[in-house]
Amino acid sequence: MTAQMTDATATFKALGDPTRQQILSLLCEREMTIAEVADQFEMSRTGVKKHLSLLEKGRLIKVREQGREKVNALNKEGFSQMENWLKFFDRFWDNKLAALKAAAEKE
Amino acid sequence: MSVTAMEKTIFLAVPIEAAWGFLTEAKKLEQWFFKTDADFVEGAAYTLYSREEEGAKRCWGEVLEMSAPNRLRQSFTIAPLGGVMTELLWELNAVDGGTRVKLTHTGIEAAGDAAFGLMSALDDGWDKHFAHMREAANG
Repeated sequence: MTAQMTDATATFKALGDPTRQQILSLLCEREMTIAEVADQFEMSRTGVKKHLSLLEKGRLIKVREQGREKVNALNKEGFSQMENWLKFFDRFWDNKLAALKAAAEKE
Repeated sequence: MSVTAMEKTIFLAVPIEAAWGFLTEAKKLEQWFFKTDADFVEGAAYTLYSREEEGAKRCWGEVLEMSAPNRLRQSFTIAPLGGVMTELLWELNAVDGGTRVKLTHTGIEAAGDAAFGLMSALDDGWDKHFAHMREAANG
């Protein structure tokens, strides 16, 4: 397992919420400022900011400054981390199940 | 692999009771998986330790359901996931000459689904979904 996988908790937490999933869906279309994201939800700007902050911690979005605005965009690295995890478990179970078969059939 | 869960099926040339033992008994788990202090008990927490490194915690969770010898459900995490719980479902069926063991691992995939839910091509494989996501992420 590589070191980059160790931040997985934040990524999974970020993904495990319907509002944040919707925000990601919006950001799939284009980059958005906090105000633009907030316009899409019946929620305070503070609430939206909190969700965006968790998405940033989970490395699923990147935030850059543009003048006085903060612009939010998808971060491909966060998603490739998820891909690594799926690959990890795929190999993990292939190896473990092969070991199970060997152990069970040896008896 | 389906979109909603990681599924693996293997055939074991042993009776179903023997296969069940390998999933639930400490001595047998150690032979192929990890070391553990006690046999699995429904409703009880379990911890699996490294076989090489004394005392190193590898996986842990709770045994959610045990219906011997057909069905075992357990919550499951590994150290690098930092306590994010996933779930394992083991389904055993007696077949000619042995036992079919199907493992379904959900949770990792559920989190992944959030990403995939953004994409429309749900019938494609995981790799394709990730490729789509990467394209979207790359803008």
